[in-house]
Amino acid sequence: MATSRKVTLLSSDGESFEVEQSVAVESITIKDSIEEGSAGNPIPVPKVNSKILAKVIEYCKKHVESAKAEDRVDDEDLVAWDADFVKVDQATLFDLIRAANFLNIKSLLDLTCQTVADMIKGKTPEEKRKTFTIRNDFTPEEEEEVRRENQWAFE
Amino acid sequence: MEPDFVPTTSFVDFPEDVQLCILSFLTPPEIANFSCTSKRFVALCRSDAKLWHALCDRRWGSKTQIRKWGDGKICYRLLYKTLSEWESLIGFWRRSGQRSTSAAAAASAAPPPPPLVVFDWGPSFVAGSRVSPSQDGTYGVVKSPFLWMSLSPGGEPVNFVDPDGKGGEFGANYSVDSIGKTDLIPVDVNFMGCTHLVVEENMGLGGNSHRNGFRRSSSSANLCSDEEEASGGENGTFGSLPDRYMSEMYQHFANRTSPGGSSASRRQKKREKERQGKRRWEPEHFVKIVDCSPTPSRPLQGLWKGIGDCTKLEFYLVTYDEIGGIACRRVGEPADRFSGCAPVFWTSKATFIEPPFSQEEMIMYDSRMHLHPIDEENSMFGELPMENEPVTHILYINSSYDLLIPDLAGTTATDRHNEGRIWQYRDGTFGYGFLRDNFIIDLKHIAPNGCLLH
Repeated sequence: MATSRKVTLLSSDGESFEVEQSVAVESITIKDSIEEGSAGNPIPVPKVNSKILAKVIEYCKKHVESAKAEDRVDDEDLVAWDADFVKVDQATLFDLIRAANFLNIKSLLDLTCQTVADMIKGKTPEEKRKTFTIRNDFTPEEEEEVRRENQWAFE
Repeated sequence: MEPDFVPTTSFVDFPEDVQLCILSFLTPPEIANFSCTSKRFVALCRSDAKLWHALCDRRWGSKTQIRKWGDGKICYRLLYKTLSEWESLIGFWRRSGQRSTSAAAAASAAPPPPPLVVFDWGPSFVAGSRVSPSQDGTYGVVKSPFLWMSLSPGGEPVNFVDPDGKGGEFGANYSVDSIGKTDLIPVDVNFMGCTHLVVEENMGLGGNSHRNGFRRSSSSANLCSDEEEASGGENGTFGSLPDRYMSEMYQHFANRTSPGGSSASRRQKKREKERQGKRRWEPEHFVKIVDCSPTPSRPLQGLWKGIGDCTKLEFYLVTYDEIGGIACRRVGEPADRFSGCAPVFWTSKATFIEPPFSQEEMIMYDSRMHLHPIDEENSMFGELPMENEPVTHILYINSSYDLLIPDLAGTTATDRHNEGRIWQYRDGTFGYGFLRDNFIIDLKHIAPNGCLLH
C-alpha cells in the first residue's frame, strides 16, 4: 500500500531519517519531487540540519496521526501540543520557520509565524529592534514622522 | 525573557513572504508600531498589495474570496477597514419596529417579510437572506437572499435589495456590472451602534453620502428623524426605474469623491425626492440576535425551530436574563415583558431537576404525544411511533406572566393551565408542553453546527 511506503530524508549535515511517505508529503516540496520522480532515495533536504529536520518530522507525524483520529477532542489536545512544540529558543524557532518555508508546510509555517507575531505584540519599537536585531536607520525626527503618518494609515 | 543574540537568523533575513506571513497575524496598530523600527519595514508596511492583502487574507480568506472584491481592483487597506465593520453583520438578525402604516402600504397587502434574517459571506459580497419555515410540513427552512452588500473598485459600498427575493441564483453570479439589468433597488445600510441596522432605499442623485456608506450614529435624534422620513414619504406609483436611470445612479454613487453638502441639506433633498413618490421599498430595521446558540451553562439559549400548536413550523428565541431566568418567544414578537404579548414559556429560575425523576413526572412525560412534522410518506397526523428520546433533565415553566396567587380559591385550575415542563434530551435538544394539554413540542436547533439548511 502506498501509505505505508517509507522514504528516507537526508539532512544538510548528512543524517538520514526514515519516515512514512504520508508524513513526508506534508511537505509540498517533498511531495512534488516524489511525484515528479525527481527525488532520489534518500531525498536530500539542503539547508535543513538534522536537529531541525528531526523536529519538523516530529511535527508532521503528530499532525498526520491526529488527522486520522477524527475525534473533536483531539483538536484541543493538538492545539496544546502545538503550543508546547514552539516553546523553543529564538534561533530554533527561526530555523523552523525557514525550514517550513523551504519545505512548504503551511500549517507549520503559520504556527511558527504566529509565535513570532506574538513576540512582536506589545513591544515598543526599541524592544522589537533588540529582539529581532533590526538596525535602526532612522533619525529621531524621521521616526517621529513615520509614527505620525502611521497613525493615519493604521487608525 | 532575554533572547539570545543570533545575528545570522534575524528577522530581516527572512524572505519577504515569510515576513508578510508573520505580520499578517498582527493588528494594524501593532503593524504601525512595528514599521517604526526600520526604513525597510516602512515600505513593506505601506505596501497595499502585499501587506494589506495578507491581513485581509488572514482574517477572511477562508470565508470569502479577497481578490474578487471590488472587481479585483480595490485597495486592500479600504477593504480591510470595511470588512472589519461588516464582519459584525454575520449571523442572525430579526426585523424590528412596525412597518409603515400609510394607506398605500396597507393597500399593497403583501404579507410582511419574515422576521428572521441571516447574513452570510459570499465570494465577493455579504448577503442578507430572509429565513422562513418551509411550508411543506417538515422541519425544513427556506433561505431567500434579498440584500447584497459589496464594494465598488473605489471602495464605496454598493448595496442592493431584491424586493421579490427571486434573485437567489443571481446572487451567486453577482457582479457590479450586471446590476443595471434587473429590478434591484439601491439601498443604504447604516449601523446604529453595533446591534441595530437600518436598511433604507437610496434615493440617489445628490442624496445621502458617507465615506464608507456607514453612518454611525448613536444619537436617538438621528434615529427619530429616520423613522420620520420612513413614514413621511408618500408611497406613490411602484413602477420600476428604467435601466438607464439605474445605471446613472450607480455610476454617480460609485464614483462619488466628495460628500454632497451638509447633512441637513441632504435630508431636505431626500424628503423632496420622497414626496415625488418614487420610493419602492420601505426601510427596515434589524436588531442583532446576540446569543444564537446554546452554551454549556445556558443549554436552552438561542434560536430554535419547532412544530407549534397549529402544526406549522415556527421559530423560537430563548433568552436568559441576568438573574437566572429564561424566556421563550416566537421570533418577531416583541421581547419585553410589558408588551402585552404572552411568552411561549418562561421561568424565573432555570434550575433543572436531575434524574431520577418521580413516578408522577415520568407518567406525565410518557403519556404525551410528540407533535411531529406531517410526513408525506407517513400520512399519520403528527403521531409517529417514535421512541421517546431519553430525558436527561426537567424544568418547570409557565406560559403566562400573570401573577399566581396560591391562596385564592379556584386558582388551582389556572395554575395548572399555565404550568408546564421542559424535557431536555440527551442530544441537547428539548421539548416543552403544558399541563392543560397532552402534547410535547420538540424543538431543534435552527442552525446545528452553524449550518442553516440541512
